[in-house]
Amino acid sequence: MNAKPNTIIQVQNLSKSFGNLQVLKNISLDVYQGDVIAIIGPSGCGKSTFIRHLNMLEKQDEGKILFNGKDIYEKGLHSRFVRERIGMVFQQFNLFKNLTVLKNIMLAPVTLHKMTKSEAEAKAKELLNKVGLSGYENHYPSQLSGGQQQRIAIARAMAMNPDVLLFDEPTSALDPEMVGEVLKIIKDLANSGMTMLIVTHEMNFAKSVANKVLFFSEGIIKEQGTPQEIFENPKDERLKEFLSVIH
Amino acid sequence: MFKKIPIWAILFFSFAFILGCNDNAIPANKVFAVKDLAHKKVGVQIGNTADIYASDFGGDTAKIQVERYSKLTDAIQALSQGKIDAVLCDDQPAKAFLRQNQSLKILDEVFVEETYAGVIAKNNTALLDTVNMALKNLKISGTYDSIFNTYINRSSDFHYTQKVKSENKLILSTNAQFPPYEFHSANGIEGIDIEIARYIADYMNRSLEIQDIEFDAIINSVNSGKADIGLAGFTITEERKKSILFTTPYAESKIVVIVRDNNKISKTESIGELLHKNFIKEARWKFIVEGLGNTLIISFFAAFLGICIGIGVSFVRFAHETMGGMKFLNTICKIYLAIIRGTPVLVQLLIIYYIVFSSVNVNKILVAVIAFGINSGAYVSEILRSGFKAIDPGQIEAGRSLGLRFRHILSHIAFPQAFKTSLPSMTNEFITLIKETSICGYIGITDLTRGGDIIRSLTYEAMLPLLAVAVIYFILVAGLSSCVARLEKRLKKNER
Ligand SMILES: Nc1ncnc2c1ncn2[C@@H]1O[C@H](COP(=O)(O)OP(=O)(O)O)[C@@H](O)[C@H]1O
Ligand SMILES: [Mg+2]
Repeated sequence: MNAKPNTIIQVQNLSKSFGNLQVLKNISLDVYQGDVIAIIGPSGCGKSTFIRHLNMLEKQDEGKILFNGKDIYEKGLHSRFVRERIGMVFQQFNLFKNLTVLKNIMLAPVTLHKMTKSEAEAKAKELLNKVGLSGYENHYPSQLSGGQQQRIAIARAMAMNPDVLLFDEPTSALDPEMVGEVLKIIKDLANSGMTMLIVTHEMNFAKSVANKVLFFSEGIIKEQGTPQEIFENPKDERLKEFLSVIH
Repeated sequence: MFKKIPIWAILFFSFAFILGCNDNAIPANKVFAVKDLAHKKVGVQIGNTADIYASDFGGDTAKIQVERYSKLTDAIQALSQGKIDAVLCDDQPAKAFLRQNQSLKILDEVFVEETYAGVIAKNNTALLDTVNMALKNLKISGTYDSIFNTYINRSSDFHYTQKVKSENKLILSTNAQFPPYEFHSANGIEGIDIEIARYIADYMNRSLEIQDIEFDAIINSVNSGKADIGLAGFTITEERKKSILFTTPYAESKIVVIVRDNNKISKTESIGELLHKNFIKEARWKFIVEGLGNTLIISFFAAFLGICIGIGVSFVRFAHETMGGMKFLNTICKIYLAIIRGTPVLVQLLIIYYIVFSSVNVNKILVAVIAFGINSGAYVSEILRSGFKAIDPGQIEAGRSLGLRFRHILSHIAFPQAFKTSLPSMTNEFITLIKETSICGYIGITDLTRGGDIIRSLTYEAMLPLLAVAVIYFILVAGLSSCVARLEKRLKKNER
């Protein structure tokens, strides 16, 4: 019942099916404050589905997700409360096309009365500086490269001051020369102590940034451990095969 | 490209103008007696008794080819242009037409004789009795003869002016395209029937209100209670007796045959004369101005109402499609869309006027605004819905992942984008709307089209009034298009 003092998220026996296809099978996981967890695995194995559950974009069939010790679907706990505390960055950036960069970042904090307009603007400018895009306040998403858009998307998620950030393949839609600039931002965030779960195919990045790596396969966590354990001393046959194909 | 369009339009309208001025090759008249009507093309007014007689004429061997017009003036025009061979109509209107149109003549042989009476709702015998008493008084007092002398014999200048001013109204339904019984003049609608109606109204201690609608809609209007009495040169027929009460007859009439006069070649009028006749004389341009005003008012408020309905309906459907729920509202919206898009707008207008508002005396402009607004709303909502569909779901998920509620996502993200993608189709919808309001004449509103029609009925001249109306519609549509093009340009700067 009681959460350990420093656990943020507890996933307990999570299962999910789409029609006849069972995508997640009885998954459990504890996420501690300051964890940077890399999630790897072949495509179609349920990584996105898993991470989307943590943001309530999917609803599980069975099992529970606790956030700060409370069931996220508990009656009286509004879904937006959970979502405000857990930010998400998508593969396709998903910036609001009709809004400027500045307004993309300010929209949620202002609309949800987290900050006044001027506070939000100050915060947005500070975040733009952090992601190296000062001066782009009045650009529209369509005027930016993919790498720039993804950095804005990270700033937008950060504007709500979330406790946890989720990344679903943040660099998969980018041209190779832009991958580095986005990974650098994520690395900076990791160094600042942000709790994060990152679905990624960048193994070197996972190795250098994560304190824990999960290998997903066919809807379960086939193997988990430190980067050293997973990348240098893999035990599961599928993991070995996966790593050999990817390198 | 766009800049050149007005030039092409001007060329087109000029071409139409030249065609209109060129009245060559009108065939000679071949009808010299009633028996010659067999196998000829003969024009009549829809609903007029001439229509019934003409259809029965000649048995199977000598049938008349009947061409039905909703206005007598259209039939007269078709006759002088050689499109038909004769027109059958009541003798007094025929004489009035011939005063204007020198190239026609009336055959000496009369087609049929008949009498006119007023019409009153089937169940309203009390009103019938009162009106019959009034008609009796009208004759006894000699007032009828005076009116008759003014309009028919043209030997006096007597006009019956109404004395009673009252909130209590007698509503007269008529079709003011039938001189000298009822017609438009610079002073409004005038004629024998109108003065008789004023007399009846005085007799009943009411003030008179005139409702000018299509001839074949009058009986309907009276029976549905939209009007108290119909006076429009109605001939008593067995068929009509089944659905309506007739007053005692108040006038006699003959149906005569109008044909082209081979001896009188129509003299061509100069453009100056034509312009004067159609627009300047008796301030006829006012009909166009009044019509334009009504067209603008109806189009504007109907568009506004359409946008409101369209936004509401598309929100319900979008909410249903993205979040589920709202099943009941969504079903209602779907039924509304199916009905509106599955029936002609004219039928909707008539249903709203004659059925929905049948018992209340509501402003007709308002009825038109409601009918066109409801109609337009269906199309606007479908246009907006495809705009919503074009938004990638990722943006909506991103909004949800930030904790934004559905209404925030709708108002800040989805709607602005849907609106922008919908703008070109929405412009088309409003262009269609402006043009569709041209059917307002069916419920007796003088809109732009009807304003032109009234001038046509006064001058027996088609080209200038129709071209003027066409040019004004064209300017309205071109103006709207260029406004929206400017708006689109302004919105464009923030995407793609
Ligand atoms: N909304 C959905 N409806 C039906 N099937 C889905 C849906 N989302 C994902 N799936 C299926 O679930 C499986 C796992 O998908 P996903 O979690 O996206 O995998 P990954 O992110 O690991 O590539 C895939 O077979 C995918 O086709
Ligand atoms: Mg995925």
